[in-house]
Amino acid sequence: MTMIDEDTLRSALRTTADAVVVSGEGAERLFEQIRDDDRSESRVTRLVREPSRSRRVLMGAAALVIALAVGVPLAIHQNAPARIVVHGEVPPRVTTSGTGFLSTGTQDLSASGAAVKGITPTGAQSSLKTATTQRIESTGTIAITVAKNHIETALDKLTALAERDHGYVESSQAATGARVPRLFTTAYIVLEVPQASFHHLVSQVQRVGHTTSLSTNSNNVTSEYVNYQARISALKVSLNQYLAIMTRATTISAILAVQAQINQIQSQIEQEQGQLNVLNHQTTYASLTVHVATPNHRSPSTHRSGINKAFHDSVSGFVTGFEWLIRLAGPVLFALIALSVLSLAVRYAWRGVRRRRI
Amino acid sequence: MSDLAALLEESYPQSVRTAYLILGNQSDAEDAVQEAFLRAWKFRHSIALESSVRAWLYRVVVNTCNSKLRVDVPRRLRAAADHDLEATPDLEDASDRFAVVNDVTAALKALPVHLRIVVVLRYYADLSEREIAIAIGRKPGTVKSRLSEARRRLGEHAALRDHASHSFDDEVTG
Repeated sequence: MTMIDEDTLRSALRTTADAVVVSGEGAERLFEQIRDDDRSESRVTRLVREPSRSRRVLMGAAALVIALAVGVPLAIHQNAPARIVVHGEVPPRVTTSGTGFLSTGTQDLSASGAAVKGITPTGAQSSLKTATTQRIESTGTIAITVAKNHIETALDKLTALAERDHGYVESSQAATGARVPRLFTTAYIVLEVPQASFHHLVSQVQRVGHTTSLSTNSNNVTSEYVNYQARISALKVSLNQYLAIMTRATTISAILAVQAQINQIQSQIEQEQGQLNVLNHQTTYASLTVHVATPNHRSPSTHRSGINKAFHDSVSGFVTGFEWLIRLAGPVLFALIALSVLSLAVRYAWRGVRRRRI
Repeated sequence: MSDLAALLEESYPQSVRTAYLILGNQSDAEDAVQEAFLRAWKFRHSIALESSVRAWLYRVVVNTCNSKLRVDVPRRLRAAADHDLEATPDLEDASDRFAVVNDVTAALKALPVHLRIVVVLRYYADLSEREIAIAIGRKPGTVKSRLSEARRRLGEHAALRDHASHSFDDEVTG
């Protein structure tokens, strides 16, 4: 086995390598870039280490940006109106109650939708509020009874009503009774219609059958809506600033740090935008849940056999007993602690008396 | 960090020649070293963890060369096979010096890449076995056995032995 001599190999490699004429053009560009990077890094290091006027100005600007990003949505939130709850049940009549700076008081809630129009802001609200279109979220639940064998017809009518008001059926479900398996005895349908048509829809649904209960709920979510918009605007401003910083970043560490911030802000924007979209849909469309049942239908929860009822009563009794024990444990524990303290006090007092006697 | 910039500038020509011996092509070698130096500069903060800056630098160069050998060189060779077969230079009229270069280049190209790298790092870049181990990310024992295998394979090249011995004799007599 022949092995090449180390010196021979070294010499041959050197001769070969020396034949290569290294051009300086590419290298010059590379080292120019490296020198620039080195100089800019030195400037950054000086900026961080040595307190100077420019550093103070930069820190002040950064503090201002943060204060604006946090402060503006917070201020808007504090000035925002309280939630309005409109709740009612018929028959015989519906009442409306309001809180916060919005006018309060009882007013008739007719099915034509006067409740929302009747809400008027008082003097405490910001100019931003008055300039913004009010965003109202409306939901309602109505229970009606229809004649036997008419559940499906009622569902068809309700669907037609929603479509006539430029709405749609969100979901529906029908169930058969235990005694008559092939016949629907109960159903529910969720209708979504534009906000303006909500009260019209409620009045129309009441005509489909006999109304046994009605509950409507309207929330003024304008403040939440404006908050989301303000937060998104503030985040977009921050994002643009970081993008501007990114164009000036030269080092890998700076690029990574800025990129992390950009990713975080983009994620927040998407999150806020998603919530805004949901709110937008909720304020564009009102939701009405209609329970349809036949007159003789009884809820499964109220119809119990003797054994079933006994079992439920037993469980309820056990839970009640346990609750009673827990309730009792507190005072007993307190009494025991009080007695212990008292006995200790008496013991020390008795010892003192005995010492004096001795 | 300015020390590293100075070191990069100083070691650039030798790094290009080292890369040339590994890759067998000058423009590839220059590309590889520039890419490696840029990478080394970007990740210079990790140098503190390394015991030898020189070995660390060669590690970056070797990794870049390996990457070029895996991707860029085969792609170009395929393209050249299709379009540029006539471009191979005729070495019949070349001087003795270029004949040596040609033989050494051919001998190195005949070596597997992992053996070529250790030979070049040891006998051209003058790295110790421990530094080569750092540069290629293997144990010193592996480096030793690879060097031995490489020298054995290069010893089979009679032309290389002859040229190198002439050159060596010239150096001694000169």
